[in-house]
Amino acid sequence: MGYFLWDVPVQVSDSYGNIVTASQGTLGSLIASEFHQRAYLRPFLWGLIRVVLDLSRGHYFEWLRGWHIAQIAVLIVLFLRLVRPSTWSGAAAVPIGLAALIGMHTFAGTVREAFPINTFMTILICAFAAADLALGPPSWIRDLAAALIFVFAALTVESGLLIGVVFIAAYLVGARGVSRAGLALQVALIAGYFVLRFAILHVGSPGLEERPSGFGFSSLSPDELVARFGPHPLPFYAYNVASSWFSVLLSEPRGGTWGLTRDLLRGEPSLPAVIGATASALGSFVIATYAWRRRREWRARRFDRDDQLVLVFMAIAAANAVLSYGYTKDVILSPAGAFFAIALAVASRHFLESIASMPTRRAVAATVMIGVLSTAWAFRAIGAHLGVRTAAVALRGEWAYVDLWLERKSQVPTDPFAVALKDRLQDEAVRRHPLRPMLGSRWSGWVPE
Amino acid sequence: MNAGARSTAAAVAIAGPVVVATLMIVAFSGLELLGRTPFAVGPFRNVAEAAGLGAASDVLRMLGNGEDPNRVMPVRGEIISSSVKQATALEAAIWSRRLELLELLDRRGAIVDMQSRRHLACLASDLSALDIAEYLSRHTSPDCVRGHELDLVLQRTRLLEP
Repeated sequence: MGYFLWDVPVQVSDSYGNIVTASQGTLGSLIASEFHQRAYLRPFLWGLIRVVLDLSRGHYFEWLRGWHIAQIAVLIVLFLRLVRPSTWSGAAAVPIGLAALIGMHTFAGTVREAFPINTFMTILICAFAAADLALGPPSWIRDLAAALIFVFAALTVESGLLIGVVFIAAYLVGARGVSRAGLALQVALIAGYFVLRFAILHVGSPGLEERPSGFGFSSLSPDELVARFGPHPLPFYAYNVASSWFSVLLSEPRGGTWGLTRDLLRGEPSLPAVIGATASALGSFVIATYAWRRRREWRARRFDRDDQLVLVFMAIAAANAVLSYGYTKDVILSPAGAFFAIALAVASRHFLESIASMPTRRAVAATVMIGVLSTAWAFRAIGAHLGVRTAAVALRGEWAYVDLWLERKSQVPTDPFAVALKDRLQDEAVRRHPLRPMLGSRWSGWVPE
Repeated sequence: MNAGARSTAAAVAIAGPVVVATLMIVAFSGLELLGRTPFAVGPFRNVAEAAGLGAASDVLRMLGNGEDPNRVMPVRGEIISSSVKQATALEAAIWSRRLELLELLDRRGAIVDMQSRRHLACLASDLSALDIAEYLSRHTSPDCVRGHELDLVLQRTRLLEP
């Protein structure tokens, strides 16, 4: 994945303008000003961008891409720390977990774009680190680290609130890496966040008029959303929560649109979408099987480490869906998608171990099923790499047309720094790191991207 | 089948496909680092090929290297079609049907005179690339003879064939 990521230029939209903004003033003034924005409260997002930009000393491509690759490496290390493969069956289940981590549709947005740092990826790292802290041995340092991670994540992007859910869910299922006092601090910090956002800073939250959103078999424009749900948005919010939850478990709907279902009803489903849904549905089945087999232990409140990981996934999936009430989008669900991968690795290992004691026919059927499951996730993992390649081509195209694009948006830079930055980034995207050979569409069309 | 054999078969079933996929990705990356990209159309041999597939960043890079967008160049059959193997970058850009690419080339002064503009506008019209034809006809109304400019381009390839 690192090799594919090294092909992705710093993008024009969401990055060039952000770099210009983040480069102005001091780090302190930049962070302070972000506490007074409307609809979004993300001061540390800007602080992190500024820190990396300062470290880069003008080597934007190398630092921003290097940062992105390092983030993936850290994420995978944390994944392995959480899954802890210590037996042959555990080792055999790791590849499918990693394929799900990278191949999940919710992961795509963490690698195909950046702002210029992908803060959704930052939240994934924080979420895995939080789970690692919570599931470890008790220590006051873990309490402190938990509080720091929560504050950093929550003030980086709104999905960072899920870090608090990780700690609470882990505690409720018996994990004591974070103590009762540490948990109380988490609850206080969550409450403090809402007081700060809504009562003190009056940041508010984005309204229906912000962006189009999937609904049913199609997408509704902001005007249509306001006309349909303006006075009574609750049904729309409920729809988004339910859609988000299904999206994590089944890869359908995507962004609130039930595209595969629509195409199936028309009799023209796309093969990549079917492969994607098959992978998720079978994965959810394996996790559900694990939950069913462990139900008596769970009712008796006896949880081992694997139980804790699966239950934390369930809590994150529910909380992430609720957090998507106003707007459902694949990448917003990336924390739930990442924990799905962990739960799948854990549940697959148990499923694998159970096959030895099954009657022959059932064992054959189960083996075929996990073969299909693994093959589908293998396709999705390849598709994830292909998607990064496609994004690299598209983002380079943006740089070729950057002057046209800025003119059309009436954003032609006049400030010398902004002009020099544009020329520099364009040179990096076009000449210094040129387009890699384009792949033929007949090879890429059958892989889910 | 005993329990050990079942476990082994199940482990292979669950790990095998993903391991194979990973090896394929590693092999792809390795081959590309060695200069041979599997399943690739490119690398483009000249600016006309890059324009034919709408690879604007490579068009820009090759223009920066001094390539002439008005020079007729050899284009592989899989880029545009087997009947178009000789084209300029401007003509190839029309086949890619990307108006923005034409606009980019135009703004960089690639369309040198009215005669070239007329040729390109009529070619776009022949190819039913109507937005491009409209863009190129903004300042003039070219008197096109239907199919003539397309035939001129196709003729170049026909002349190459035995």
